[in-house]
Amino acid sequence: MATSVKISPVTRIEGHLAIELKVESNQVMQAFSIGEMFRGLEVLLKGRDPLDAHQIVQRICGVCPVSHGTASIYAQDQAYHVTIPTNGRLLRNLILAANFIQSHILHFYHLTALDYVDVTAITGYQGSDPELQSVREWVQNEFKAGVVAPAAPFLPRYEGKYLDNAELNIQAIKHYLEALEMRKLAHQMCAIFAGKMPHPASLIPGGVTQKPTAQKIAAYAGMLQRLQMFIDHVYLPDVVEVAKAFKDYFKIGKGYDNFLSYGVFPESGNNEGHVLPAGTIVNGKPGAFDAAAITEDVKYSRFASVSGAHPSQGDTVADPHKANAYSWIKAPRYQKQPMEVGPLARMLVAYHQGHGECKTLIDGALQQIGVTPAELNSVMGRHAARAIECKIIADHCGHWLDQLAPDQATYNEFDIPASGSGIGLTEAPRGALGHWITLDNHKIESYQCIVPTTWNCSPRDDRGIESPVEKALEGTPIANEENPIEAARVVRSFDPCIACAVH
Amino acid sequence: MGTVTRRTFLKTSTRLAAVLGLGSSMIPQIAEAVEQLYSGNAPLIWLEGQGCTGCSVSLLNTDFPSIAQVLTQRVSLKFHSTVSAATGEVAVKTIHECVAKGGHFLAIEGSIPVGMPEACVIAEKPFTQVVLESARTAQAVIAVGTCASFGGIPAAENNPTQATSVSAFLASQGVKVPVINLPGCPCHPDWLIGTIVHVLKFGIPALDEKSRPKAFYGKLIHDQCPRFADYEREKFAKSFSDDGCMFHLGCMGTQTHADCTMRMWNCGTNSCLHSGSICIGCAWEGFTAKQSFPIYRKLELQTTDHTS
Repeated sequence: MATSVKISPVTRIEGHLAIELKVESNQVMQAFSIGEMFRGLEVLLKGRDPLDAHQIVQRICGVCPVSHGTASIYAQDQAYHVTIPTNGRLLRNLILAANFIQSHILHFYHLTALDYVDVTAITGYQGSDPELQSVREWVQNEFKAGVVAPAAPFLPRYEGKYLDNAELNIQAIKHYLEALEMRKLAHQMCAIFAGKMPHPASLIPGGVTQKPTAQKIAAYAGMLQRLQMFIDHVYLPDVVEVAKAFKDYFKIGKGYDNFLSYGVFPESGNNEGHVLPAGTIVNGKPGAFDAAAITEDVKYSRFASVSGAHPSQGDTVADPHKANAYSWIKAPRYQKQPMEVGPLARMLVAYHQGHGECKTLIDGALQQIGVTPAELNSVMGRHAARAIECKIIADHCGHWLDQLAPDQATYNEFDIPASGSGIGLTEAPRGALGHWITLDNHKIESYQCIVPTTWNCSPRDDRGIESPVEKALEGTPIANEENPIEAARVVRSFDPCIACAVH
Repeated sequence: MGTVTRRTFLKTSTRLAAVLGLGSSMIPQIAEAVEQLYSGNAPLIWLEGQGCTGCSVSLLNTDFPSIAQVLTQRVSLKFHSTVSAATGEVAVKTIHECVAKGGHFLAIEGSIPVGMPEACVIAEKPFTQVVLESARTAQAVIAVGTCASFGGIPAAENNPTQATSVSAFLASQGVKVPVINLPGCPCHPDWLIGTIVHVLKFGIPALDEKSRPKAFYGKLIHDQCPRFADYEREKFAKSFSDDGCMFHLGCMGTQTHADCTMRMWNCGTNSCLHSGSICIGCAWEGFTAKQSFPIYRKLELQTTDHTS
């Protein structure tokens, strides 16, 4: 007989998520992904000045505000018929890239690592690193003093099988601390051209307001170099170590063989010729991406609005008491299929399209760890893809920096037409991100967003088909129902962002 | 005290005195406050309502003390949804134990959906109820960011969930606990850490009529603007790439109280105005509140041009 196991709240993600599992014979039979927060940003955008949009929507998410700002200015560029100068495109890429790097480092070390690394190993630390000594004494004192929740926020935790190699555990704790500084550095690098982070100031339809002085280019280059060192010599090797130690997680968390990428980091025009390409994989078969094939269902979502509409025709009407609805997240589908989005999707789409760097790095990592390409569709595959992508993006920043022309324009003037529409498709660190805007009488008539975690963590669609995370959880072994750490690992591998998903 | 010595505290405190805008005579007292913070005497519980986690991410960007110091050298962050190892039932128990003991500081990020309690739920409990329970036994509540301080974007016109600020919600429920507002989208890490240290050692800092610490929100952005001279000379920008005062483009520096242009963001790297952007007034109580008050005034300029 199945028992119900709840993970509520799921922490170390962004926002309010609960997961409900039906477990039988120590295995997940069914999973339900429950988004537990709603603000209604699409609702309050209606009737506003169109230029309010990118400032408001970037505040959908404090972890990936750049992606929302970027999607919105792409959509507005299109609605205002403005072509941006080359500097504008390069600066937008550099701002977006810096936040991808920040987000990926944050995810592996600060959101994920505590599921694998045994932080209690610090109590046995014998070395001479003053930072680690200080952490050890803090943990010992907390237990000695008998405070409530000693060593919080690192304990308490789910009991389970953690890494049992003392040396690796200590090294990972050191890298956790180092990574805190590295993600901060990535935000500093971002702010050089963004003005501030989170919530960049300089993104604007028509380009970017920040001018790239020689001093700013040099500052970005210096920080980039430090981040590249960290990614190459710490982040990637750590992911390989964890992947080797938890090789069983290449067999856990397999989703659908459906992946979607809108493409990101344009090399021409406003948003064309992407470094990481657009494309799809449906039932394992690569294909071209068609924006017309996107729809959103709401049968199991807390909305009274029309189900199955394309986002340009969609609406958002809250219905908190709707019968059978179990989430504030809508259920987007592509050709009626649930699609996984994120670094794994981008890497697989690029891999299938013969992307050189991507192929070399993925093949190299697979060989090093000793797994097959098919096993990438898994918990560890998602972590590996994220780290590899982080390297590819960081390595491209140098090319964009080199092309910046300090004395040239970063912005082209535009007029806002009374009516029109635009689509902004890009990628957030967590996956494919789309914004659809329609103007009427110089005001926003409609604004709809479909966000990465909306794809990954939706409830079931109108046909009852599970979302990627619900599917990936099915079959997950649960050794101890009081401590469902295995399921938490599956969920976190998607890097969910609920403020994004519900908006 | 292990490797964290008295000397470390004094060094920390000298720099914090600068962050707080206090004189050097306060350094010994700040040292005590930091020591208290590090020794687990001031448990901090951080709860998120209708927010975006931007204020939490901003806290991670703290320059000094570094977040590694904050987290590992004895600040008692008992629960934070984005950072805590504790998950599910383990997390719920941790919060419950700390709240039952009382005397904690409660940081709230995000607004509160009073008109639609289902719009924010933590472990099957409406956020409204979670806030009430955890605020009643708290020493003080810190409303982190504009959503928690004033309602912010979720409470903008049309407000589909009847989102409201922390202070308005607690007042409506008759909960009498000091609330300090730290508006800003996001909240600057110095404003938060500076405020916590001040509360510990000197009590509630001097607040203005909107419950904001005067040390951080005492001056208008406009009076500290790098383009103030342009305003004085009436040299106004008409396009986003122009030099000159950006008042006509919609700059809200004349209404917004904060010290961003002097303090700067991301470890002194940049600020909105320094990056050629207008001040969008993200720390202002009217931020995005009215549709008739857009962030940028470009449309107005454009319409004027077209009709002239």
